[in-house]
This record gives sequence, C-alpha cells and structure tokens, in this order.
Amino acid sequence: MKQEISALMDGELFEDEADSLLELVKLESGAHKDWEMYHLIGDVLRQPEYIHCGLSAKVHGRLQDEPTVLAPRVRAVKQKIRTFALSAVASLAAVSVVAWMSLQITHEAAPQMAMQQNGLHPASAQIKSKSNDYLMAHQEFSPSTDMNGGAYYIRNVSYSPDENGAWDKQQ
Amino acid sequence: MRKSALSGGLLLGGLLLLVATNACAGGRQNSLDWLKTVAFAAHQTEYSGVFVYQYDNRVETSRITHVVEQDSEYERLESLDGPKREIIRHHGQVWCYINRKMVQVGSRQAHNRFPALLPEQMSALSENYLVKEAGMERVAGYNAQVILFQPKDNLRYTRKIWAHTDSGLLLKAAVLDDKNHAVEQYAFTQLQIGGAVDRSWIKQGTADSDAASGKQAGKSSRAGMGLAVSDSLPIMHKVPETAMSGIPVNSGWVADAMPAGFKKIMEVERPMRGKHAPVTQLVFSDGLSAISIFIELSDEDEDDVEGLTSRGAVNLYHKVVGKHLITVVGEAPPRMVMQTLDSVRYNGK
Repeated sequence: MKQEISALMDGELFEDEADSLLELVKLESGAHKDWEMYHLIGDVLRQPEYIHCGLSAKVHGRLQDEPTVLAPRVRAVKQKIRTFALSAVASLAAVSVVAWMSLQITHEAAPQMAMQQNGLHPASAQIKSKSNDYLMAHQEFSPSTDMNGGAYYIRNVSYSPDENGAWDKQQ
Repeated sequence: MRKSALSGGLLLGGLLLLVATNACAGGRQNSLDWLKTVAFAAHQTEYSGVFVYQYDNRVETSRITHVVEQDSEYERLESLDGPKREIIRHHGQVWCYINRKMVQVGSRQAHNRFPALLPEQMSALSENYLVKEAGMERVAGYNAQVILFQPKDNLRYTRKIWAHTDSGLLLKAAVLDDKNHAVEQYAFTQLQIGGAVDRSWIKQGTADSDAASGKQAGKSSRAGMGLAVSDSLPIMHKVPETAMSGIPVNSGWVADAMPAGFKKIMEVERPMRGKHAPVTQLVFSDGLSAISIFIELSDEDEDDVEGLTSRGAVNLYHKVVGKHLITVVGEAPPRMVMQTLDSVRYNGK
C-alpha cells in the first residue's frame, strides 16, 4: 500500500490505477495518514519556508467553533445602505455645486472639452461634404468598386440632412 | 497494448488533419475564385435594379443600371430618396449631378479599367483573411452563395458577400467590425439581370467614338444613341483623362505602418477641386480594401483640419504634419487609418 502511494505521488501509476488508489486513501484512515505523512516528508525535503502540519484538521476544527447564524440581521444592513445612500446624495450635491461653480468661473472650458470628446468618439462624426472630393478620388481605385460595380459611389454623394445643398454651394 | 492503441490514434489523427487541411485549401481556392467571378460579372453583366445602402443608422435607396456596349460600360446611379443625385460612369469617367447640375467629374486611369484582381492581390488576400463559403441564401429572389472574409488581424474589417450563383453578380455585401456589428450594408431589393435594360439615358455627347462603335456592332441601334429624351441629363463633357486622374510620380512619401498585405497600387500627382497645387495621392490595397494617402501643402486658413470622420466603412483622417496637410481615406477601422497617417513621412526621392 505504502509503495503504491509513493508511486502515485511520483506520478508512476496509470490513470485507472491512480483512481482506485485515491478512492482507497479516502476510505481508509490509515492510508490517509500515510498520504499526509508522505507529503510532509516531501515538503521537508523541499525545505519550504513553512511546513503545514495538520492544516486540514485545524481548519476543520476552526469551522466547528464558528457560531451558526440562524437569523441574519437584515435591519442592520438596511440601515447601513440608507446611511450610505444619504451620504452619497450629500456628496453628489456637493459635486454638482462645485461643478456649477466651476462652470460659472470658466465658461469657455466647456466647448473645448466637447471638441476633445469628438476626437475620442470618431464614429459619431460624419464625413463632411467638403471632403467628398477625397472620397471620390479614393473610390476610383478601391477594389470594392470592381466587386459591385459603382454602387459604392453612392457613398460619395450621400447627403446629410443638416448639410443639404452643400454640393451646390461648392460650385 | 496501450502503446499500439496510442500510435493508432495518432495515425488516425494525422490522417484526419491531412484530409482537413486539403479540404480547407480546396475551399479557399473556390472562395477566391468566387471573388474573381464577382469582379468579372460586375463589368460584363447587363443589369438594372434597386438597392439599399445602410450605414451609420441610415438607409438610402438607389437605382443602378449597368449597360455593356462593345468593350465599354455605361453605368447610371440615381438616388431615390433625398435630393436627386446622379452618377454616371463610362470608360473610366465619372460624372456627378446634383439636381441635374454637374458638380464633379472624376476619372480613372485607363489601365485600371478592368483590373479585376491581380494574382499578387489574391495571394495577399489568403494570407491576411480566412476565406470560407458560408452557405446559400436568397437575396432579391435570387440564389446566392455567401462568402466570408475574416481578417487575421484587427486592422481590417470582416467582409461578407452574397454572390448570385448563376451570374456571379454581387447581390449583397456587408462590412462587419470586430464585434460583428454591420458597419455598412448594401443589398439589392429588386434586380433584373439581362433582358431589356433601359438605354435611353446614354447620349451622343458622352463619347462619339464609342457610340459609333456601338452602332457598328448593331447592339445599341434600338437604344437610339444620340436621340436622347428631353428630360434626360445635360450633355456630358469629355474630359481629357490626364486632366483628372493625375500623372504617375515617385513622390518620395512613405507610410511605415502599412499592415501586411497592403501593396502600393498607385502613386500620382493629381489636380483636385479647390486646391491651388496638385495633390499627391498614394493608394495601397490588400485586395479587398484600399487606403489612399493624400499629401498637399497645408493652407493656413483651414479651420478644422485635424480629426477623424466616417461614412459607413470609410474612415477619413486629416492632420497637419509640418508644412503638409495629410489625409488618409480607407475602408478600414479608425485605428488602422490613424496609425497609417501617423507613420507617413517624406523619405526623399
């Protein structure tokens, strides 16, 4: 038995043999002790910083000592949330007061920030009509033009409602 | 016993892998052949239909008519909603009309008229995209083969195309981002392939020589070239090709961060509307997408020169670098367009 356990730890057993041995170790307390002992020997030989002796038994014991809570204190938790919510509201109010004050002081800062955000979210910015010439010049050589005839050219003359008539103005 | 079973399994696995690889290579070949067929059909098929183009939460409906005369194509695009916009393409020339007023003429270099796909572009395609057939679907009443082009990096969009199984015409196309959201979509809702396609809009003024050759072939006699209907477009003006498409140059400008597979297909100096001096244009393509880099001397009075804008799958990024205004346009994710611009530099001639 001991030889088998040693062989298992060294990874010398086949899978099916290892499975049956592990089952045995679980059932027999003697074999289990051997299992733990062999690991302890291995640990000592490897000279780690700490040696865990009977760790599983200790954890088990501590768990036994923990009191069983049958009725969690719901009211106390609620109270906590309420307090937190109130303080959050208070700090939010403080922030908005500060924000309002800073808006009053630095009025020109707002548009600048908006412009920076435009750069961060490029997808929202539409290509302007005045850039249509670049699109047209590019489209002539794009492989997509060969694949679907000139259908993609429609992209070059796409209009946006707010820029209506921009084409005419260009002429 | 164990060992023999193991080696048997290995052998079987190896065989399976070999078969799978072969099947995969065969599939890719077919899918790429589809692309050639699609490009060929786009030029050689006569058709007329209505398609929707959806991008940036917007939908536009347009009608397209494609006519093939002897050795040359005529194509007319009309917007069906919004202000009336019209585009006519013929023999590498592009005319743009807004409310029947010609606003723009573009041109494509003569040798680029039937480029289809170059062999080196095809190999670049299979190096940078996983190409696979993704079943059959019905579009506008026609059976279509679905082909998926999945990029191997995040510098390209995913493409999905629906090709008509008989003619090879592109019936639907979608560009998807890395989250599989459609960036833009294009699909026919009604399509007539072949048959009596309307030719009344082709006018004598377009190109006399072409009209004559068309008549000789007897193909367009019925259409009445030159007997244009009164409400059709103003006479198109033939513009000298070099005037718009530019002169091939070696500008000395390079882009160091161009992703793998993008090859330079063109480098010209071209005039552009509203620009005092010619603009240098470099075009790179990986076979599915193209990136154009425009370089010009920057105007001091440009108001909003720096920034990224987009329309569907096309992203445009402007930036002033030193004395130059650089503009990068391409059917590629914003990240790629910006990265390309930031790597543009003058390397000297």
